[in-house]
Amino acid sequence: MIHSSAWRAASVAVLSMALINVGFVRSAQAAIVDTGALIATDRNADLASIRTQLDRADVRAQLEKMGVSATNVEQRVAALSDSELHTLAQDMQHAPAGGDGVLAVLGVVFLVLLVLQLVGVIDVFKRAPHR
Amino acid sequence: MIGLRQAAGFALAACLLTLSGCVTRGPLIPASPKTVELADTPFFPQREHQCGPAALASVLGASGVGITPDALEPRVYLPGKHGSLQVEMQAAPRRYARLTYSLDPDLKPILDELDAGRPVLVLHNYGVPFFPRWHYAVVVGYDAATDRVILRSGVTRRQILSTRNFMRAWDNGGRWALIVLRPGELPVSPDKARYLEAAAAFERVASPRDSQLAFDVAVKQWPDEPVGWIGRGTAHYRGGDLNAAADDYTSALHLDASQTGARNNLAMTLLDLGCVGQARAQLDKIDSAQLKEPLRAAVRDTHAQIEARSAELSGQSCRRRPAP
Repeated sequence: MIHSSAWRAASVAVLSMALINVGFVRSAQAAIVDTGALIATDRNADLASIRTQLDRADVRAQLEKMGVSATNVEQRVAALSDSELHTLAQDMQHAPAGGDGVLAVLGVVFLVLLVLQLVGVIDVFKRAPHR
Repeated sequence: MIGLRQAAGFALAACLLTLSGCVTRGPLIPASPKTVELADTPFFPQREHQCGPAALASVLGASGVGITPDALEPRVYLPGKHGSLQVEMQAAPRRYARLTYSLDPDLKPILDELDAGRPVLVLHNYGVPFFPRWHYAVVVGYDAATDRVILRSGVTRRQILSTRNFMRAWDNGGRWALIVLRPGELPVSPDKARYLEAAAAFERVASPRDSQLAFDVAVKQWPDEPVGWIGRGTAHYRGGDLNAAADDYTSALHLDASQTGARNNLAMTLLDLGCVGQARAQLDKIDSAQLKEPLRAAVRDTHAQIEARSAELSGQSCRRRPAP
């Protein structure tokens, strides 16, 4: 028990230091505007800023729904620019997701051959001629 | 019944013929004896649905980032979609100190990048309109004499496709092509807006040093573009070289005095240099009424910091050295 409370105290101390540091870094740099924000000079910049917040929440929720773990969701969302966030928020359901390998492609070839066989363009199984 | 079946067969055959017939004949790669193959591009045979991480590991490896598809899977794979999205393929390399840049939708930029030694990540669609089959592959070479391209694809280390077949699958996939750049590298034919957007997206997660390299080349390539100078200024600021940051922001303002973001950042930098008066003078030139978010919040914050720190800084001297 003594052991575990020592651990607790240690982790609380480490975490508080980390939080204090984060606080310092943020306050020192909050006033510097990101270059990305300067490129996206939208006439409706006020709306765009709100939109980004909504997009971020939306993308987070969708990624989690699609099976990405919570810790990975944060890292993945952090790597996205505002316009990328928006693209994802708009159309994650229907956006192409590359994943198919050669087997899936072979599957398509098989389907096409099957259709051709069924409609009688090719005859793989050498069926007896119709009478 | 047989008549109907034959008619359907003819219709289907006619369809297939038209599909292949609508493409113009003749070689697609300009005639030359040229052969390029980036044989050192690593190959990772994909596991099921994992062509995204495999292809990404391949282009990252060619760019000097040693990483396996397994390590990339948590960054780009979407279990719910059995695949990886283009946007995430584009975003993930930033975590490994690499910029991503999407090429113009033509064959020539792909060949140009191969000539420059960079493999190209492409999205193919091998399906049919109502049954798309999306697949990522990496173009690693071409042979002009035989009009073929060479790819790392799926479980095939060296897939050779006729350029025509390659183009058909690439066309159906929306002609998406991506390259990975080391900080400081430019594409063969860089588009200014697209490169700056790529560099700005990189800045969010990059180290100050890498960010500086990425904007360094932008400033050299487009010296008249203020955004390049602003980006490099911010990289200097984050790296702690405040005087260099102030120089770059000032250059941006010389090019375009209406760059409020540059002026705000310059004011903040001057304040950090202990130059309260100069910082205030810069901020006074900004018309706060015209500002939009997130600039408005940043300017408000800079104002607040000047007020909060002016007393403490009053005894100190201004450390701004004159611009060269």
